Amino acid sequence: MTIKINLHKTHRQYTNDQETVEVQGKNVGECLKDLIRQYPPLGKEIFTKNGKLSPIMEVYLNGKSAFPDELNKPVKDGDTIHLVYFLAGG
Amino acid sequence: MLTVDERKRYDRQIMMPEVGEEGQEKLKQAKVLIAGAGGLGSPISIYLAAAGIGHIRLVDHDQIELTNLNRQVLHWNRDIGEFKVKSALNKLNQLNPDVAIEIIKKTIEEGNIRDIVNDCDAIVDAMDNLETRYLLNKIAIEKNIPFFHGAVRGLEGRAMTIIPGKSPCLRCMYHGTLPPEKFPVIGVAPGVIGCIQATEVIKYFVGMGELLTGRLLVYDGMSLTFREFKITRNPQCDHCGQRKEV
Repeated sequence: MTIKINLHKTHRQYTNDQETVEVQGKNVGECLKDLIRQYPPLGKEIFTKNGKLSPIMEVYLNGKSAFPDELNKPVKDGDTIHLVYFLAGG
Repeated sequence: MLTVDERKRYDRQIMMPEVGEEGQEKLKQAKVLIAGAGGLGSPISIYLAAAGIGHIRLVDHDQIELTNLNRQVLHWNRDIGEFKVKSALNKLNQLNPDVAIEIIKKTIEEGNIRDIVNDCDAIVDAMDNLETRYLLNKIAIEKNIPFFHGAVRGLEGRAMTIIPGKSPCLRCMYHGTLPPEKFPVIGVAPGVIGCIQATEVIKYFVGMGELLTGRLLVYDGMSLTFREFKITRNPQCDHCGQRKEV
């Protein structure tokens, strides 16, 4: 089962500029863990110190918001996850 | 009723079959609150005044600094030190004297937000921090006022339109906090997003096109791409969850 994760451009410095990474997992949380297993420096970007999703990250699954309870959203083969940064400037 | 001068001024948009004199009259009757007179507030207020929104209420507490001038195109070198709303009033009056420009030199807070949004037909988000955006989102839901969200950072931006009771709100897609920061930005990013917000306001009042409701538009100026994400109403949303579908 392969899931694609589309990374925000600030994350691509950790993935040799790859925009998309293929991961395995049954839900969003497992997929993100597999992403971090492949690219450990992404851990501190995506999760807080206490293991929660970073408050500035948004997760979209197949183009739809995964909020709330993003990490437990189930995924299936061929799904795409987008990691997006929340913006607040004006 | 449009005056002879107004018919001339807005001739090119009245020519649009979707607008016509009827649509122009709707714009003239509209009262719009623009929350912020900075990077986003500049293009929003310029284009809404140019389009003939009848009444614009502009709120901002800040004074103009040199570091604002790369993006806050309503304010010029000679305005440094002036309050942003005063500088904006001066420019917008010159752009279109037919538009009533009302300025409020205040920080938007829980204690004054009801007075600030009073009588407005739309609220446009031109803030530089998340906390005030949440306040605006909440009052928009409470008072049943359409809310036009926009935000930028660097060469990125996003926009979504919120129609209370009909479409998801800001809190349906996000609950986090972001500390206020000195954020990087190039003026063209708020230019793009502010114009999208102004487009939505005009469409809403005229009653044309398809609004950005339930669709978060994410702009990346680096790759020059727009991406859309679907947002759905969250029944447990702390701002709009209790509000019945209209």
